Amino acid sequence: MDPFQVLGIAQDATDEQIRAAYLLRVREHPPDRAPEQFETIRDAYEAVRDPRRRLRHRLFAIDHGAPLASLFAPEAHPRRFVGPDPWLDVLKGK
Amino acid sequence: MIASGDHKAALEQAKDLHKVSGTLASEALLVDAYAERIRALLRRNLTIEAQSLLDMVRQRYPASRVRLAELTPRVEAKPLSLDDLVRPLNDPDLAAEQRTAIDRRLRQEVWDLKALAHCDALALDHELRKAAAALERALVAVTSGPVTDDALALPEVSRRSPLAPWKLLARAIASFYRRDDDACRRYLEAIDSESAPTRLVPAIKAMLADDAHAPLTPAAAALGARITSASTLRRALEALDEAFASASKNRILKAIRPAVDQCQQVSPEQLDSLRQHVSVRCALAVIDSQRVVGPLGGPSRHDATFLRLFARGLEETRNPDQVVLACRLWEDFRHAAVREGWFADNGPEAAALALHMADLLNQLPNDLLRDLQWSARAGTNEGGDKLTYLFQEELYRRACVLDPHPESFSQWMEWAARQPGNGAERVATAWHKIRPRDLDPILRLMNAAEARGALPTALGYLGKAERIDSLHLQVRGARLRLLAGNALRHLQQKKPALATEDLAQLSTLPDAQQGDRPAFLAALRLVSSAARGESERVAALRADVEQLLGSGPAAALLVSAVAAAAKQRAIARLGSVEDESERRSLPSAVARVAALAADMSLKLEIPASWMVEVAKQFPECRQTLDAAHLRRLGELAVWAGMDDLAYAISTAGLERGETTAARFLLLRANATIKSWERHIVCAKAAAVLGREQQDTALVDEAAALVRGFFEFEHVSLTLEQARDVLNQEKAAREPSTKGRPGPTYAALLANTCQCVSCRQARGEADEPFDDLDVDDDEDVDDDDDSGFGIPPGMPPELVEMFAAEIEKAVRRGESPEEFMARLSTLPPRRRRRKRRR
Repeated sequence: MDPFQVLGIAQDATDEQIRAAYLLRVREHPPDRAPEQFETIRDAYEAVRDPRRRLRHRLFAIDHGAPLASLFAPEAHPRRFVGPDPWLDVLKGK
Repeated sequence: MIASGDHKAALEQAKDLHKVSGTLASEALLVDAYAERIRALLRRNLTIEAQSLLDMVRQRYPASRVRLAELTPRVEAKPLSLDDLVRPLNDPDLAAEQRTAIDRRLRQEVWDLKALAHCDALALDHELRKAAAALERALVAVTSGPVTDDALALPEVSRRSPLAPWKLLARAIASFYRRDDDACRRYLEAIDSESAPTRLVPAIKAMLADDAHAPLTPAAAALGARITSASTLRRALEALDEAFASASKNRILKAIRPAVDQCQQVSPEQLDSLRQHVSVRCALAVIDSQRVVGPLGGPSRHDATFLRLFARGLEETRNPDQVVLACRLWEDFRHAAVREGWFADNGPEAAALALHMADLLNQLPNDLLRDLQWSARAGTNEGGDKLTYLFQEELYRRACVLDPHPESFSQWMEWAARQPGNGAERVATAWHKIRPRDLDPILRLMNAAEARGALPTALGYLGKAERIDSLHLQVRGARLRLLAGNALRHLQQKKPALATEDLAQLSTLPDAQQGDRPAFLAALRLVSSAARGESERVAALRADVEQLLGSGPAAALLVSAVAAAAKQRAIARLGSVEDESERRSLPSAVARVAALAADMSLKLEIPASWMVEVAKQFPECRQTLDAAHLRRLGELAVWAGMDDLAYAISTAGLERGETTAARFLLLRANATIKSWERHIVCAKAAAVLGREQQDTALVDEAAALVRGFFEFEHVSLTLEQARDVLNQEKAAREPSTKGRPGPTYAALLANTCQCVSCRQARGEADEPFDDLDVDDDEDVDDDDDSGFGIPPGMPPELVEMFAAEIEKAVRRGESPEEFMARLSTLPPRRRRRKRRR
């Protein structure tokens, strides 16, 4: 699982942002109430808390063997940004 | 008043009347007054005002629709432009009702915010134009990508603005893309059901799957299809995944085209990436790239992304040849990534890549890597490129130069320590120079200095280490050991005064008072006193040592070992043990001194007659020895070449429980060295059990024991198999004989699965004989089963001597491979004369 996604942070997040996101997630999923989620959050934090680890993650964490379906159609109902025109067509009453 | 044309006054009067009476008649009168007012506006060509007023009356008095029916065609027949609609808003005296009517029409009909934002009928700074412009920007933003909450604040649009529903729409769309569906629904519910934005509500609800089967306009259906319809792509990709899993080349090739076509339609921006993934997977599935280009609709882009993907794919195969290729691709990736601006060539990323490549090279079989490096050097000598990616030393150096981090140096030093020569010391020196406050290189340099007998240098490094971390386990133990070594050295140099100073320092150390160490100090004092000729004190100290160890033979052995280390041969001689009770306790005495000698890094030489007596007495006292003493006694037996004693000790040790079982299994491996099959399996099982107990020293010792048995390098045992071996060895209490063969492990060594995936997982070629060149077959000597690699052409009379030397080397802890390397590569050493001052 992508640790950046788990923590809800950008790939270029700073140490402080990562720490803050980790604490926030831990407050949402404390170990006594949600041990599995907490484990996932802690693993994610461990993977990115150190700048060297983050760097290695950026360089080497490519899931080359993951199903193509999960790489290129990540969700059952993806919501793709299509720009304003198709939306305006509906408003025009086409 | 109506008849006289004073319709304005008539309307005011009718309003007042209706306010007071509130009857159907008063309402009818009021509607008539309104109708006359609308007619008057139409007569004056004020169509917009007439239309606005008509709308207002119809909304406020629904019953009036019949009475006003006659006016409706007249008002709506005239099309209303946006400019015409909003122009009256420039009039500061515009009646409130008319303003309300215009606002209503803006709310209900205006869908083109851009047109309103650029509407020339209104002043440039009119709040309506500003609101429309802000909303238009927000809509473009929310439909084009993720937006922040700030972008949706829209302070230009007040809650009373006719465009207020657009603000809710923008927020609903933003929530939709954020997958905050509840918020999206709340915003949709809040949108005025008569406003223009409400036309989008069914489409969004359908996409939220709230009302998936609601009838939609063609535009709404098209919108939903564009935003959420990736299911066809998903199906095509799943079919391609299944094809790859089937490993059927034809099936893969057939499944590529539909996936690419769907991706092009639904997600064209991802097409390049898909092509790269498919190309890499086809390459890993050994499909000719030319056959893939057609279904892919073109070649994939070979940029940094592609190279990284390919490198990762290859290294995951664990096939040595492909791992080598992965190293090459990582090097190519580095160049490409620098070209594409991913990172700088001299940054931490390049350092991390170098470490990664070195790590991959470490996974390769030594002989393969040596061959590759030899070829690479030959190629470089002939003017070819320097293939740095094949040389760990170069890669580690690059990593440490680019990123002098302790982690990089540590990996380099660990690797160097596994190589022949003093590379680790060289790395530690470089590390210490760059990072003088790091403890690891100091300890490495201290240990290296100690190993070559440079004790003052070692003490110098120890001083540095103590200033950094005096509580470190290695640092605390080192001072005692080094001072003792220094005292022995001074005694060797016949400098008893200096040795006395060392002893004084030693006595002050708290560590020196632990366990049997006071006996060691007493023995050291004894030897020092003997060197100074203090015979009375020698006798007193001998009594002290004996008292401290509680055994005459133990005291004699310890004094002898210390005297031998101090080169005081006169008191190093050991007599035989005559007393019967002392003979019976000899195993425990020897074991106790062996443990103390190991603690103080003291070389212990046991006379053969003593070891024979130990072997004789051992069965009687095997229960009285603790596991630590058993271990030391076992090691002595191995060094003395007394396999039967080592075996008996391992049997006693294996009965002591699980915590030390792995250690005694390793001793069993040492005791069965003549039965190589059992020797290898016991060592491998000990390594597995040691790994489970996180005993790295044991794992290293076990690995060293089997190093060089190339044909069994790939053999690995599961934890279950290791436990099974342990149980079998526990049951085999006596050494094997012809009539009692003992456990056999041929199945574990021979029944290694030879399927492609298992061979790949073990890092072997796909087919069992792929590693062999055709020409090599001629060189295979069926009779050569020694596994030690006896040099071809060696005279038969030397073969036996050679095998015996190898066996001795193995007993010393050296692998046959290291022995061969030492034999063939070491230059003759020249003794360097010390310069006299």
